[in-house]
Amino acid sequence: MILQALYEYAQRKGDELPEDGFEDVEIKYLIKIREDGSLVDLISTIENKKGHVYQKVPMRVARTSSPKASLLLDNAEYVLGIPKQIKENDPNYEAKQKKAYEKALICNELFIKEIENLPADVLNEKEIKAVIAFYRGNKQNGFDKIPFCEHWEECQKTTGNLSLILDGKDSIVPQLESIRKYQRFITAKKSETKDDSETDNTTGVCLITGEKSVITRLHSATSIKNSQATAPLVGFNKDSFLSYGKKQSFNAPVSVKAEISYTKALNYLIGSKNNRFFLGNDTVIFWAEKKESQSFEEMFSAFFATDFDNPDRNVREVKNLFAAVQTGKYEKIDSDSNFYVLCLSPNSGRISVRFWETGKVEQFANRIKQHFDDFEIDRAPYEAEYLNLYQILSATALEHKMENVAPNLIGSVMQSVLKGLPYPATLQQQCIRRIRAEQKVTRERAAILKAYINRFNRYKNIKEEVSVSLDRNCTNKGYLLGRLFAVFEKVQQDTHPGLNATITDRFYGAASTNPVTVFAQLIKLNQHHLGNYENKGLRITREKEIGEIMNSIESFPAHLNLNEQSQFAIGYYHEKQSFFEKTENK
Amino acid sequence: MKEFFDKNFCLEVWGDYACFTRPEMKVERVSYDVMTPSAARAIFEAIFWKPAIEWKITKIEVLNPIKWINLRRNEVGAVANDKSDGIIIEDARQQRAGLFLKDVRYRIYADLVFIPPAKRKNTPNHLPEYLVDSAEKSELTERKLNDDHPNENPGKYNAMFERRAKKGQCFFQPYLGCREFSAFFKLMDPKKEPSVPIEETRDLGFMLYDMDYSNPEDIRPAFFRAKLENGVINIPDWNSEEVRK
Repeated sequence: MILQALYEYAQRKGDELPEDGFEDVEIKYLIKIREDGSLVDLISTIENKKGHVYQKVPMRVARTSSPKASLLLDNAEYVLGIPKQIKENDPNYEAKQKKAYEKALICNELFIKEIENLPADVLNEKEIKAVIAFYRGNKQNGFDKIPFCEHWEECQKTTGNLSLILDGKDSIVPQLESIRKYQRFITAKKSETKDDSETDNTTGVCLITGEKSVITRLHSATSIKNSQATAPLVGFNKDSFLSYGKKQSFNAPVSVKAEISYTKALNYLIGSKNNRFFLGNDTVIFWAEKKESQSFEEMFSAFFATDFDNPDRNVREVKNLFAAVQTGKYEKIDSDSNFYVLCLSPNSGRISVRFWETGKVEQFANRIKQHFDDFEIDRAPYEAEYLNLYQILSATALEHKMENVAPNLIGSVMQSVLKGLPYPATLQQQCIRRIRAEQKVTRERAAILKAYINRFNRYKNIKEEVSVSLDRNCTNKGYLLGRLFAVFEKVQQDTHPGLNATITDRFYGAASTNPVTVFAQLIKLNQHHLGNYENKGLRITREKEIGEIMNSIESFPAHLNLNEQSQFAIGYYHEKQSFFEKTENK
Repeated sequence: MKEFFDKNFCLEVWGDYACFTRPEMKVERVSYDVMTPSAARAIFEAIFWKPAIEWKITKIEVLNPIKWINLRRNEVGAVANDKSDGIIIEDARQQRAGLFLKDVRYRIYADLVFIPPAKRKNTPNHLPEYLVDSAEKSELTERKLNDDHPNENPGKYNAMFERRAKKGQCFFQPYLGCREFSAFFKLMDPKKEPSVPIEETRDLGFMLYDMDYSNPEDIRPAFFRAKLENGVINIPDWNSEEVRK
């Protein structure tokens, strides 16, 4: 299904995707040379930790354990012969380092040979002549001078790609027209293949197209954030993964044509800014089956991630979504076309599928709207109107850092949103934990708890619902206690301005878990504080509020369970927010 | 020559987890959305199989909504070898994530196809030559049965299967795609207890039908275009055009 959907996307996009055999690659360092092969400099293209992406360069080869060089662009081991650095405390350091040196030499040779094996008419180009001179003829002024360059130190540590550029030119050597023509020629030859070592002539039924054709032995790499650059989506890199005596990708027959299409589509989606966003360590890509749903495609990432270039986009898109759902725009556009969401996660040299969602655009739109509705809660006017996933999840993490979020939680929350299911229980648990640790109920945390309870109740057909703002008629034990606690805190703050530690800091944990132990003392304290009021009117208001809440409380329970603790937090938050309301009808 | 008819049986199977692994995502396992005919056949064969019969799956009905779960498990990266001392997990640990199905329930329908004695494959005698007594050799290796044998009929095998399935007997515990996901089964009469499949209709793309074992040296997969119609997948016949071999 996944590969099939990608293949269909490639067919739909057609020319917008880079041509067969080409790709857009990020290249971090360029070796600038003169026509005679002497070195000008080693320049770095890095800006904001990312190198410049060069368009339409010959596709790099899929590598296994044996060295194989790509044409005119590759990593430091191939281009400059820089060996892998073995850690010095490794037991076999000397032997391993020696081996690494030898391997680097072999790789470098292969790289140079790849260039030397180009057809004669390409070899005549002055750029190619310069490159060969750099490595061979003019080696002392060329290749040997590299270590003297400014960026040499950082280049040695990099895992990125390097390439060559001729002094005075704007485009790099792999972008030469004759190189492109050559690449087209060998790509065409590969799909027909008579004697290409990569396919060994095996024919079979392709599991994407269902046609009988030549099967590819290796699938190209798909590079996602935090994965190894050579990790393919479909790969069999250990013996224990093989079956029926088949080797490598013959375990899953995909025709050469289909493989090129789907990897192209996959890499395009991963590379594009509009069709992907990052969820912690994972990469989420999404696309629509038909062109008409393009507008939804463009909106999609705004619901989940912050667009750093355009922070207002988040709010704007959600508003558009609400409007569209109300007017029924999505039902009209497409009742038949699908929308796909794929979440990929890196896993030691491979890529694993975290989740895969398909559905109609209308379905997704409704569910996302439901998600935002659930998260709506009373808030200060300066706070953001709609919360994105990062804000929600970082509220459950230590120091609000995304790396401290529970690993599976990010994917699970996203899945709950897309499927319309209750949020994971971990979300509620982590949220309560954070509240207890910091003794602070922020808007995000209150929203999370409210959303969790409402969705859970809806799923189980329980009629109880937590409201957006203060609900004076709610009789839930936890809610009332939370409200009471908030009023007590307010009284203390009114009468003792400038306190360092309020009752919240001291008593929140105990009050929300074992109310009977602390509320007696809190009421006593409260009476003292009430006596300190100078403004009699305000005192009466507060007393009225306390009276109203106490009316509905029968007794102080010994223990509140997790749901009741959530209600406590929400009640506390609602009551506090109500103190900021303009007193219209008081 | 009597004419024999194949009887269609229905089993309801359910389990906590299932993984009908897609061939292309075999390493980081991703399951198909529904049961493959290959897995369904394995369940029938777990209950009852003899060289005299063959199971042909005709229909798969999905009774529970399709739910997913993502798990990461510790596995090994090396292949076991009888000459080695065994595999030590600390040296060969591979963590593999998987996207599996949760809380599955299916009804699988299959024909019990009776193979007349003449057409049966000669089961190879695995005893080495020096252990086979020459007197017994003819008994063990020659085929004694011919097509007119009075006891060779489908009724016998149908009864055997029904008895076993009703009692819950099986040669090994049936499983849903991977051995670790055990399945529970029950023989059903669809007329007495009609099923209520889920209301989903979609095109599932090409799905693995089964492996083609006709050439033991080169075992190949066969695919077919699976369409879920109101929770039911009709499986085409193995020899039909729809099955791409």
